[in-house]
Amino acid sequence: MMKRYILAILLVLFSSQLWAEEQKFEGLQLATAPINEFDMDAVKRGAKFFATNCMSCHTLTYLRYDKVAKDAGIVTDKKPISINGVTPPDLSLEADVRGVDWIYTYLHSFYKDPATASGVNNLIFPGTAMPAIVAPFQGEQVLVEKPMHDLLNQVQWYDLVKPVKQGSMTPEEFDKAVADVVTFLAYAAEPYHAEQERLGYWVLGFLVILFVMMYLLKKEYWKDVKKTRQ
Amino acid sequence: MTDKDLSSKSAFMEWIDKRYPWTEFWKKHLSEYYAPRNFNFWYFFGSFSLLVFVMQIVTGIWLVMEYTPTADGSFASVQHIMREVRYGWLLRFMHTTGASAFFTVVYLHMYRGLIYGSYRKPRELVWLIGMVIYFCLLVEAFTGYVLPWGQMSYWGAAVITSFASAIPYMGDLILTWLRGGFSVTGVSLHRFFSLHVIAIPLLLAVFVFVHLVALHHVGSNNPDGIDIKEKKDKNGVPLDGIPFHPYYTVKDLVGVVVFLFVFCIVVFFTPKFGGLFLEPDNFIPANPMVTPPEISPVWYMTPFYAMLRAIPNKLLGLMTMAAGIAIMFVLPWLDRSKVRSIRYKGTYSKIAIVVFVICFIGLGYLGHEGVSPLRTIMARVFTLGYFGFFLLMPFYSSREKTKPLPERVTG
Repeated sequence: MMKRYILAILLVLFSSQLWAEEQKFEGLQLATAPINEFDMDAVKRGAKFFATNCMSCHTLTYLRYDKVAKDAGIVTDKKPISINGVTPPDLSLEADVRGVDWIYTYLHSFYKDPATASGVNNLIFPGTAMPAIVAPFQGEQVLVEKPMHDLLNQVQWYDLVKPVKQGSMTPEEFDKAVADVVTFLAYAAEPYHAEQERLGYWVLGFLVILFVMMYLLKKEYWKDVKKTRQ
Repeated sequence: MTDKDLSSKSAFMEWIDKRYPWTEFWKKHLSEYYAPRNFNFWYFFGSFSLLVFVMQIVTGIWLVMEYTPTADGSFASVQHIMREVRYGWLLRFMHTTGASAFFTVVYLHMYRGLIYGSYRKPRELVWLIGMVIYFCLLVEAFTGYVLPWGQMSYWGAAVITSFASAIPYMGDLILTWLRGGFSVTGVSLHRFFSLHVIAIPLLLAVFVFVHLVALHHVGSNNPDGIDIKEKKDKNGVPLDGIPFHPYYTVKDLVGVVVFLFVFCIVVFFTPKFGGLFLEPDNFIPANPMVTPPEISPVWYMTPFYAMLRAIPNKLLGLMTMAAGIAIMFVLPWLDRSKVRSIRYKGTYSKIAIVVFVICFIGLGYLGHEGVSPLRTIMARVFTLGYFGFFLLMPFYSSREKTKPLPERVTG
């Protein structure tokens, strides 16, 4: 009986402690990025936002500045710098490495944290060196004191933070802007993707026609095999 | 070319045949190579393997034109291929998908040999040469995986070469020799490039040729596992044999189109295959300072990797892994059954095959996942099952009741 009490007390203590100190956010679900990577207008808008707010630190080495980039007015040749001892990563393949949903969630889930050098921390990348770049747009967020404990582990980023100061964008505008940046980064990682899919349908269509022809050819030849069975 | 064309040879072919055995070769290997008429679905995978081999060579040639095999230039040159080279993405995705396709069709080809007893006398050498090809393929795939010089390339190379250090006394010396230095560096990358584009493909081409020569010398097995050469007509043609060309060439063409359809779905629509063919961490350039959270080999090597991890001792684990591959070589001498094909074997053999497939796929799954106590136990059970299939074969294959063989091929 005594053991059970101790266990119950430990469980209660542990569950509240876990939140306050460890900040591990296990079971956090990635928000689905509402993007269409073939939407060139979104690519351009995202590129513009990216160029204005991200390119002072992040490079996009492997993305050549072709027509799209020029249309969006991107400044080229930024040297990588160091923030709090961390070199901001090149982002040309970030959509391949992390996935679009990760980036979309990451850009949404900054919150105020006085313990860090930059004053902000991130739900899915705790300890990130990236400063409060999105706060002017999104507004400031803090961790909620009592997060919703969902037994099914379906915790979304907005279950864990709450806004404390309004930014220059409404939440809808901010979602749209982030979706555009993510669309742009998806394009940056795979600029060939649209051509790849378009060509893919033609190739598969050709193979279907070829299959019919080859099947009929085989049938014609194999007539003899069926006939000559002794 | 039909028989009619060959009987009325042109003056040109006369001239050629006096100097080179072209017509003789054509007859021996195609138009008068008599294959059993009852080949089924499983018999496509030999042709598919040859097709993928040619595809890998051709795409490889074009990739090498733009690829840079140095630690500084490699990662960027792959992105150059993907972005600036016209249809470079297509060449690379065909090559990366081709690697996985190669193992898929080769595993199914080997499974065909396993169930129909294609390794039995007189085809032991066909099987042995095939196993040599399989081993070369593993080396080819490993060296190729290092070339993009991403995080998984680098750390995969570090882990796999480190196996050498478990060898007693000479381990560290061999490790340094393999890597061309005390750690994996651009020197290692450069030598793996050399092996990947010259040494191994050359060996593969030779062994594929020898594999076919051996096969055509003894003739193809079939799903019934009976000898079609025992019943011949008055011209010496097997009654159940049909000329490979044109019958199986046109049949294989149908299969090839279906194969290419599936292949192209992957190439054009999901070349990363959910991280199974191209791992997300490999889109990060190699960094000796940062170890990725999980280092696991690509799916086709994971069964053996799982065996390695199942054994707590490094040297013993390594020996188990090597034995896992080596034991397949001696398969022809482990099977003591009176019949070749699973169709006529007894219950023990059928159960053994099912156990083997479950263990192999189970090991493949476990080798891809992280380690946990339960998974380690499962990996040990599957390893036992895998070796049990081979080591117990002399006993269960000779003691079971087999079904009577048919006079002629069925189906």
